[in-house]
Amino acid sequence: MTCEETRKNLPLFLYGELSFDEEELVEVHIDECAACREELAREKAMFAALDGVELVPTPEAIEESRAEFRRRLALVNQPLRTSNMPRSGFWDKIREGFTIHFHFAPGIAQVAGAAVMLVLGFLTARMAPNSLLGNWRSAGVVEPATSRVRYVEPVSPGRVQIVLDETRQRVLSGSVDDEAIQRLLLTAAKDPSDAGLRVESVDLLKNNSQSAEIRKALVYALEHDSNAGVRLKALDGLKQFAEDPDTRQALTQVLLKDDNPGVRTQVIDLLVQRHTDAVVGVLQELMEKEDNNGIRLRCKKILQDMNASAEMY
Amino acid sequence: MVQAAVKMDEPELIRAAQQGDQRAFEQLVRLYDQNVLRLATNLLRSPEDANDIYQEAFLRVYKNLHTFRFDCSFHTWLYRIVSNLCLDALRKRKVRREESSLVETSDGYLDRMDTVEEPRADSDPARRLESKQVREKIQEVLGGLTPRERAVFEMRHYQGMRLRTIGELMGTSEEAAKNCLFRATQKMRAALGDFV
Repeated sequence: MTCEETRKNLPLFLYGELSFDEEELVEVHIDECAACREELAREKAMFAALDGVELVPTPEAIEESRAEFRRRLALVNQPLRTSNMPRSGFWDKIREGFTIHFHFAPGIAQVAGAAVMLVLGFLTARMAPNSLLGNWRSAGVVEPATSRVRYVEPVSPGRVQIVLDETRQRVLSGSVDDEAIQRLLLTAAKDPSDAGLRVESVDLLKNNSQSAEIRKALVYALEHDSNAGVRLKALDGLKQFAEDPDTRQALTQVLLKDDNPGVRTQVIDLLVQRHTDAVVGVLQELMEKEDNNGIRLRCKKILQDMNASAEMY
Repeated sequence: MVQAAVKMDEPELIRAAQQGDQRAFEQLVRLYDQNVLRLATNLLRSPEDANDIYQEAFLRVYKNLHTFRFDCSFHTWLYRIVSNLCLDALRKRKVRREESSLVETSDGYLDRMDTVEEPRADSDPARRLESKQVREKIQEVLGGLTPRERAVFEMRHYQGMRLRTIGELMGTSEEAAKNCLFRATQKMRAALGDFV
């Protein structure tokens, strides 16, 4: 066997994948050739380096995969409940109760006082850090609330098997003044998929707008949220900062670009609490493009009261 | 339901599972699942993708176990499913941009690879840096292998499977598997020439 042939065969030699005859030839050549012995040593070093990059799943990762698989198996094995079946279980009632509570009656949480009960199903499970959740007593685990069809597979004529990915909800309770609760609310206030959740979260946060972080979140919601209800709640929370220069600057921007007349009207009310030249300028600028008659009349009156013209020169 | 005895050999577990014994099926899964997750983790270099392979592979095993007729070993049958899933995932990955292992969470950026352990860490800083460079180079080469080369290499080098078995479960010949392994080691050798 030549040096070239030997070197070509070294990986397979080390893997023990050469035939008996080939292996013999390599061994004989290596015994006689110092250069190829050196090459074999390099090959072994490379194998050792390769061993060093092997990834080994942690026991926790294995257990998580096993637990998830058990859930999936249970799902595959249990008959699927159709949507028109009555919801009569305890957790069904709990879930329905919370859904109504948060999506249709935002005021209830405030009436209940400083304590809030939050159902932050998807967001909590996916986004909240475990260290944060670890500080909270879980009030219970409710039935899967968020489902996504992962596989569909015909099993026999006319029948189908569907595998769902499900997210479980966790119920947390705590004071709205608590920093950890506020962090969850701040996260929920930016959930792009649920405007109702954002409205309620901003509504709860606005009572704590002394916090710089919360005030920043309120300004962000006012400037960027696509839902006017959320923007109005944020505006409500910023009322007490109408004198603050940064807040006034944000209000000015919102006044000139927000497409909701209700938001613009409230912004005007906040801005005119202080009669300044800047307010005159922004109202005049607004008059140039405002097409809502009510707002135009309001601006005109304010400008007249301030002895300013309704037009820009 | 028939309950699995504490000690059953593999064929007995398979037969019991085929009869609907859930505990036997679970024992069967546990015989192989660590190696399956390990193979998928090394092949895909993503804990999430590896977990997806794990879930899908064992669900397929569960749904199709009744068709298993002992024509080949259960190991080969299972790894045929796993390797096909991994190859599909690698092929899909080839057409999309390689993902970063960093994910954004509300706690900042976390490395998804934190759920895996890399053995043989060195305590000497200089050697650690050197081995880090080598590891990075190896990762680069692994990423550049074709899905088949990658799969054969991983199964031979890290799982210790024989090329004959790899060929069988990949639906190809031992010779073809050998060629894949040869190309993979050649590429590795060319890239690591300065380091070893």
